[in-house]
Amino acid sequence: MIPASFDYVAPKTLPEAVAELVKHGDEAKVLAGGHSLIPLMKLRLSTPSFIVDIGRIKDLNYIREADGHIAFGALTTHHDIEFSDLVKRRLPVLSSAASQIGDPQVRNRGTIGGAAAHADPFGDFPACLLALDAEFKVVGPRGERTIAAKDFFVETFTNALEPQEVLREIRVPSPPEGSAGTYLKFSRRSQDWAIVAVAAQVTVKGHAVERVAIGLTGMGSRPLRGSAVEQALRGKPAHAEEIRAAADRAADGSDPPQDLNASPEYRRHLATVLTRRALEQVTGHH
Amino acid sequence: MSVRIGIRGGIGESVRRVDGEPKVKGDFEYASDLSREGMLWGATLRSPHPHARIRSIDIQAAVSSPGVLAVLLAGDVPGKKTHGLDEADQPVLAWDVVRYAGEPVALVAAEDLELAREALKKIVVDYEVLPAVTDMEAALSPDAPRLHGKANNIIRSLRILHGNPDAKADVWVEGIYETGMQDQAPLGPEAGLAVPAADGGVDLYVATQWLHVDQDQIAPCLDLPREKVRLHLGGVGGAFGAREDLSMHIHACLLALRTKRPVKIVYGRQESFYGHVHRHPMRIWMRHGANRDGKLVNVQAYLLSDGGAYTSTSGPVIGNATSFAAGPYEVPNARLEGTAVFTNNLPCGAMRGFGAVQATFAYEAQMDELARALEMDPLELRSRNALHTGTVMPTGQLVSGAAPVRELIDRVAVLPVPPDEPAPDRDPMLLPGGAGHVGHGESLKRGIGFAVGYKNIGYSEGFDDSSQAWVRLSRDRDGPLARVKTAAVDVGQGLDTIVTQIVRTELGVERVALEQPDTRIGSAGSSSASRQTMMTGGAVQLACRAVREELDRQGGLERLNRPIEASRTYHHRVTGKLDENGQGDPHVTFAFAAARAVVEVDTELGLVRVVQLAVAQDVGRALNPQSVYGQIEGGSAQGLGLALMEEIELTDGKVRNASFTDYLIPTILDMPPVVSELIEEPEPGVPFGAKGVGEFSTVVVPAAVAAALRQATGRAIHRIPVKPDDLAGLRPALAYRKPPGS
Ligand SMILES: Cc1cc2nc3c(=O)[nH]c(=O)nc-3n(C[C@H](O)[C@H](O)[C@H](O)COP(=O)(O)OP(=O)(O)OC[C@H]3O[C@@H](n4cnc5c(N)ncnc54)[C@H](O)[C@@H]3O)c2cc1C
Repeated sequence: MIPASFDYVAPKTLPEAVAELVKHGDEAKVLAGGHSLIPLMKLRLSTPSFIVDIGRIKDLNYIREADGHIAFGALTTHHDIEFSDLVKRRLPVLSSAASQIGDPQVRNRGTIGGAAAHADPFGDFPACLLALDAEFKVVGPRGERTIAAKDFFVETFTNALEPQEVLREIRVPSPPEGSAGTYLKFSRRSQDWAIVAVAAQVTVKGHAVERVAIGLTGMGSRPLRGSAVEQALRGKPAHAEEIRAAADRAADGSDPPQDLNASPEYRRHLATVLTRRALEQVTGHH
Repeated sequence: MSVRIGIRGGIGESVRRVDGEPKVKGDFEYASDLSREGMLWGATLRSPHPHARIRSIDIQAAVSSPGVLAVLLAGDVPGKKTHGLDEADQPVLAWDVVRYAGEPVALVAAEDLELAREALKKIVVDYEVLPAVTDMEAALSPDAPRLHGKANNIIRSLRILHGNPDAKADVWVEGIYETGMQDQAPLGPEAGLAVPAADGGVDLYVATQWLHVDQDQIAPCLDLPREKVRLHLGGVGGAFGAREDLSMHIHACLLALRTKRPVKIVYGRQESFYGHVHRHPMRIWMRHGANRDGKLVNVQAYLLSDGGAYTSTSGPVIGNATSFAAGPYEVPNARLEGTAVFTNNLPCGAMRGFGAVQATFAYEAQMDELARALEMDPLELRSRNALHTGTVMPTGQLVSGAAPVRELIDRVAVLPVPPDEPAPDRDPMLLPGGAGHVGHGESLKRGIGFAVGYKNIGYSEGFDDSSQAWVRLSRDRDGPLARVKTAAVDVGQGLDTIVTQIVRTELGVERVALEQPDTRIGSAGSSSASRQTMMTGGAVQLACRAVREELDRQGGLERLNRPIEASRTYHHRVTGKLDENGQGDPHVTFAFAAARAVVEVDTELGLVRVVQLAVAQDVGRALNPQSVYGQIEGGSAQGLGLALMEEIELTDGKVRNASFTDYLIPTILDMPPVVSELIEEPEPGVPFGAKGVGEFSTVVVPAAVAAALRQATGRAIHRIPVKPDDLAGLRPALAYRKPPGS
């Protein structure tokens, strides 16, 4: 399919981009890697008449650690995250997730900013960013503001941005030394979207679980925290029985969808098993 | 006459595909690339309801929509209002009733596709929604809505009685099996261009499998004599049965004749799901009885198939499935019954394997059950009962050609199995999930499964699907040149290459030029039923031999100065219809195959990795070995797809996954290596002894994968595609119950 016709502008700076958005109001859409927006436009599920391509804006593609956080420019590609040594070392949950997104072509074009802004409950980064307590720096006509991850993902395909705002940066608090993470993703066919996936970030001190964060993909109309698991495991010994008992609560409070790929019951089963395996993996039981 | 040897690129060599380079470079012109000066675009309005009465259609707004040149309804069809391969029951455009969601109702021609689509939205159809029947068993019920106003919804019912169908046996096993609706999913969607001609006729350039059968159906609907409807082959991007029935053909012609301008219609992927027939879903009941020593005594089968809204080839498909239902085994007694019914689902028809795929899944599951009941090795059981040359089949047909069933079993069994590496040490890409990680190989179980099966080659039950070829040998500046023309379609299977090889071998001439197929020459029959190498290959061979005879008379190639040409038609041996007890001589000949699947299942999650597929196939003679391997691998991929993921999901007759995002086709990462063995036992009475090769891995691979999954999980798998929650044991298996009407 071919998208409906639209006008296009590629500003060189963020303020110019914001000005374009202000000028064109609801008719305008930001374009980053285009790997979610253009498919929607081809299917005519989205028909913006004006495209603001932020891809030419300099200095939005970076990964750096400073002041107790790791910052990602909105235009940082999945590929760059997958292969970043800093991310591998400090936030393996994100390099693991990045490596499992689509295929190499998608990873070369898609951006973390786009993946977050798209707010797809089946997307891989949102659950990770939620588990990591990320912060979203957005700029708009009235300057910059910060949105917490728990507020950023509102509903399927809906984020907390105003129409004239652009996401500039995503910040993740630096995890303590000894923290480990991984992302496990279930799909029936290779390189496909997740049916259910689990992000886990855990810090073990001595033998006890000091911090634990679980993010769930595909278990509701937005990414979810596995709060019941976190509560059950926090402060407990990082042993197989404790992990199993905690993981059994992975689907608590979720409202998994029924679709062609899976029933809600099967999704609960997947969340439970994947949470257990992820926790076992990051606590060294494997 | 002896076959020429010593010429390069003749038969038996893995000659490179003549269409390979242009296709790889993107130079090949597919039907969707066709264009003409002043061309319009056609678009189709389709019914959103599986069953409804059309009260009225208002086209006023569409007619005055920008750029619109024509809006057509059923009343604008000048001739016959219906078409169909076996039975002309499918409306060109629906007029009173729509019988499936997706049925064409109106057409628009406009200056561009966008304008045509805009106009479609302005057509207002007032429907009275009718109760729909969307389950094949429900369609048999006396109070089901009758789709075609006949006494019942049965398209065809047949019964094959063999020996003593009530014969007693020591051990019985029984089961119900189901297969899903598979899409052929050719990469090239339906496409064609109709050009009005000065003589009042029309030239249609179209991607199809059989030009002449299209012409036969199109001409009466246009109310034109056959010779004024000229078909030309447009580049075909895969077919697999999807292009046997008409799609946009008549529509484009109607719009071109009305507007007096060339009209192109190309379906998008979504429309393609509605625009062609699919593999029949089947529900199959089977009971197998054997003696303690493992000899089959009696096979009872009842096969029900969902033909969807129109007849298409449902008759021959259920005929095939039923006549093959006892498998490639010697069975003294049998009662095999088959019924195809109308429902308000998408029409079903031809797809690679044509009825054999579904039957094989069922009878091979039964053979494994029987082996278990007898505490016998499943391969030993199969070998002990293997059919062979000289066996009388349940239809009474004598197997007269090559039938190396036992050898296929032996050969596939000894192909090397990949080592079972410890999971934790593996590259995660080599665990279930592939590119998606679900752990380190927890709860991993390996399983190995086998299946043997067969299918007919060529059209059956008395059909004379002959093929004509014309060959002209001449000399130009660069030396001798053979030109060849047939109406046979290379759908991507490699026919043009095989024809080139045959001409080289027969004439000893290296330069061979193929003319574009059209209806100016006689029919070549369909590029289906694994038949073109036999049929068109046979016609080309005959024509070459006639040319060669004349050439020899003139003193050989060195003396060639006047062009020599010849035209010949090849017929296969005569077959016959089945009588009321299903007895007769229905099939031309058969090819057999055996497959072994090695799978690994993450049993906790129900996720599968197919580790390896091995296929041994009875090919008669491999005219182009690389092409044969290619067919085996492609057919295996389609079989793996049916076993694990490919299914058109319908709810109340509506398709829920008409896209390649939601209709899952295995990617290259889901496909394991395929190891193939060719068994070359030349088939008597067919050109070069070569059997067709296109369908047989698709026939056996789904059954082999299912068997391997049963072995890995210990679960009863009665339905394909197998879903992960079935494998994880989260859904109950199908329990046996009696077939309908028994
Ligand atoms: C074949 C295929 C397979 C895929 N598989 C996966 C997968 O397995 N897992 C997965 O997670 N994703 C997958 N994706 C999606 C992919 O990751 C996308 O790249 C990503 O979701 C969106 O990023 P993008 O840069 O392409 O954003 P775009 O498509 O350009 O934009 C997406 C949305 O975000 C908005 N937006 C983008 N950037 C900003 C910004 N800086 N500020 C404000 N709004 C913004 C746009 O307006 C648009 O609404 C797949 C995509 C394809 C085509």
